[in-house]
Amino acid sequence: MGHVEISGVSKRYGDVTALDNVSLSLENGEFFGLLGPSGSGKTTLLRSIAGFVHPDAGRILIDDEDVSRIPTHRRDIGMVFQNYALFPHMSVFENIAFALSVRRHGKAETAERVEAMLRLVQLTGYGGRRPDQLSGGQQQRVALARALVSRPRVLLLDEPLGALDKALRQQMQVELRQIQQEVGITTILVTHDQEEALTLSDRIAIFREGEVVQSGAPDRIYERPRTAFAAEFLGATNFLTGVPSAQEGAVGRIALADGQTIATLDPLPAGPRSSGSVTVTVRPEKFSIHLGARPDFGGATPVNCIRGTIARQIYLGASITYGVSAGGVELVVFEQNREAVLHPPGTEVWLSWNAAHSIVLED
Amino acid sequence: MPRDEAGTASSPQSGTVALASSKTRLAGYWLTAPTYFWLGITVLLPLAIMLYFSFLSKMPYGKVEATLTLANYATYFEKDFYHFLTWRSIMLGFHVTAACVVIGYPAALLLARTVRGRWREAILLLIVLPFWSNALIRIFAWTMVLRSNGIVDQAIHAVLPGAPSIGILYTYPAIVVGLVHSFVPYMILTCYISLQAIDSSLIEAGRVLGASNLTIFRRIILPLSLPGLFVGVVLIFVPVVGAFMEPRILGGRQSIMLGTVIEDQFTEVFNWPLGAALSFILLTIVILIFAATYPLLRHRLRLT
Amino acid sequence: MPAAPRISAFGYGYLAALLVFIYLPIVIMMAMAFNESSNYELPFRFSLIWFEQLAGNEVLWRAGRNSMLLAAVNTVVATVIGTMAALAFARYKVRGHAFLQVLLVPPMAVPWLILATSMLIFFYYTGIGRGLHAMLLAHVALSLPYVVIVVGARLQSFGVDLEEAAATLGATPLQTFFRVTLPVIAPGVAAAALFAFGISFDQFVTSYFLSPPGVTTLPVEIYASIRKGFTPEINAISTLIIVLSMALLLLVSRFYRFGGR
Repeated sequence: MGHVEISGVSKRYGDVTALDNVSLSLENGEFFGLLGPSGSGKTTLLRSIAGFVHPDAGRILIDDEDVSRIPTHRRDIGMVFQNYALFPHMSVFENIAFALSVRRHGKAETAERVEAMLRLVQLTGYGGRRPDQLSGGQQQRVALARALVSRPRVLLLDEPLGALDKALRQQMQVELRQIQQEVGITTILVTHDQEEALTLSDRIAIFREGEVVQSGAPDRIYERPRTAFAAEFLGATNFLTGVPSAQEGAVGRIALADGQTIATLDPLPAGPRSSGSVTVTVRPEKFSIHLGARPDFGGATPVNCIRGTIARQIYLGASITYGVSAGGVELVVFEQNREAVLHPPGTEVWLSWNAAHSIVLED
Repeated sequence: MPRDEAGTASSPQSGTVALASSKTRLAGYWLTAPTYFWLGITVLLPLAIMLYFSFLSKMPYGKVEATLTLANYATYFEKDFYHFLTWRSIMLGFHVTAACVVIGYPAALLLARTVRGRWREAILLLIVLPFWSNALIRIFAWTMVLRSNGIVDQAIHAVLPGAPSIGILYTYPAIVVGLVHSFVPYMILTCYISLQAIDSSLIEAGRVLGASNLTIFRRIILPLSLPGLFVGVVLIFVPVVGAFMEPRILGGRQSIMLGTVIEDQFTEVFNWPLGAALSFILLTIVILIFAATYPLLRHRLRLT
Repeated sequence: MPAAPRISAFGYGYLAALLVFIYLPIVIMMAMAFNESSNYELPFRFSLIWFEQLAGNEVLWRAGRNSMLLAAVNTVVATVIGTMAALAFARYKVRGHAFLQVLLVPPMAVPWLILATSMLIFFYYTGIGRGLHAMLLAHVALSLPYVVIVVGARLQSFGVDLEEAAATLGATPLQTFFRVTLPVIAPGVAAAALFAFGISFDQFVTSYFLSPPGVTTLPVEIYASIRKGFTPEINAISTLIIVLSMALLLLVSRFYRFGGR
């Protein structure tokens, strides 16, 4: 129950390619996040699974059944819309009962299942209210209960928390995850909010111009992005560009624009490329800042250490963000505010990081 | 939040409920089929037949054979009588529309921007209320007000014995008064709708920038309410130019208009081809007037 | 605009004068329906004689029945097919709709005199002829644009989301229409139906040209009577019509506010 297979799905609108040969496979009970900027195709894919969009090519299988030619109302899915789309002329109870009443379930069974749903989303006693008498968070829960009551095979979430303010959004993320795990339903979430995708998803897929750039567990994508786009879209990052200079066993060396050399554990591209240069990404929190003489790390683990100058600082309380000029670029560096010491602009510093965190990008 | 995909909101594929595209297209056609059919036999075909008719030499009746001719149009262009009538009808449309703008626009402005709450609702309802009752009856009612020695005259003379008579029934002004009374609610409603839609923060912004009331009106309120004004003008001008019932009842011997002559061709003279030609000339005039004014208004209308 | 009290007082005065202008003829006409004099002469002497005469006027009653029947059938037909078209425009966009939208303009923007005479010619030569059925054809055509606009505005005011939601919840297109779309657009449909009723009941021009001798509607009959010579009987029937239509609108304005919130 709830296994979704998307293979080779493409969709064009005139000259615009909304989906370009997208293939994904979802495990039963998995929470899968589709992440990407506006126009990247993630919503088109979700709407294709729902049956609102008809792909030009490819197949969508739910539990090994090809649903491409099956209309939405027979696909056995649940969906939560961006603006909830609660029926304004029905009470909360009637909204939740809708899926059961169109399937002509009995009165007693309907009442029982709706009550169970109200309990699940912590809205017991709210059945008689009208949607416009509820807060945004409550409406969101009703929408969720309404989508789940018929025990669908797949739950589709289209920016479900987009309309809520930040505090409520974070609270609802936790609840949404709990409910999803309690029900054990395969869930597909569309969002442009990377934090939301990271918090909720077992796996995510990053979309760009109709293609899946990278998919996998959130920490895998965050720690090992394959492209500059994936690295940049998921969290803040830095890019260092240089020329491969040496390969010493597992350690590759790259010469930067200002002559300093950094190390990476990633394999360097074999053979000279056209430009001959490689781009390495390093997350801002991987750096350590050192004052004074070049620190000594011993020879055991390969550690990078380059010379730089503080260019700017942003004090954030718990942490400090620095802009450090090094290797021919300005690097963003996060430092935990442990010592309550700020480095003023102009300070000469050493930046060190583990060579394992120098990620060589594909393009 | 804007929709994510370029095409989702407006593309035909997504504007549907769980139907395959071909079924969607089918639904799009059969849902409109009755309206197509209905307007086909009441608007499209009749207007086409009428155009054909306007070129016939005489009524095809029984064994009478009609030939195609431009004589009906020639009649119109040769006789000063018809030019005079056309001019009269256009002037009537112009006078009535202008009077409706002058009376209706300030009322709409007051209702939209000054009057609030229950009063606004009540006054609007009072304005719309008689508008729902029969137009013919309202025109008829004016005959009692405007006739000399009529009810209003009698009442005035009871108080002021020497006062002049307001009996203007069977004169041109009587036609204008009756038509303005019939159509002014259109103007008030269409202007009110576009006036009340103006975001009051725009006006506040104008005031903060130091604009006077007059400037605010001229630069903000008037341009933004032009679409409503234009719709009101169309809704009034078109039927007034083609009016025949109102001139007949209120105009007496003054009543001859292009509309009444067309009516005569169909109900008294039975010269349908001439009536058809006159109808098409009237239609052409209406279209030409709007074609001439539309470009002037178009860039303004785009504002909203 | 300026909300200074002085200007408001002037404004209210202006609106009051406007209302006097609007209601003066109607009130006088209604008063004369209760005046004994057949020449509308003062002093006013209350009498129900014109209503008594009206009760015995077979011709007017038959015309009234025709008007009611026509308006009722027109309301149903125009509302149903107009709502269908509005739904197609809003939800099932296809090529060919643009042409239909153009076709909806003439009933609003072409003088009714022209439409009525062209229908007279067409109906005469195709054998459709004149009569209540021909009037129904005309009335529905004149009502359709208003129905499409009013219902269309309501459809536009909520997106396809509700209908898509219903589909994901397992509702067939038909279930979706009757359980979601129709209830949500109900206020618009009710307003459209009222428009259609009003347009038909008020319709004089097309009925005048399309009524054969002996088959008339109230407006046509009233017009004939006015042209023959005034009689307070017309005041009596007009009073009844005005009171009825105003009562109807008041009723609907209550209901409409109800549905709107």
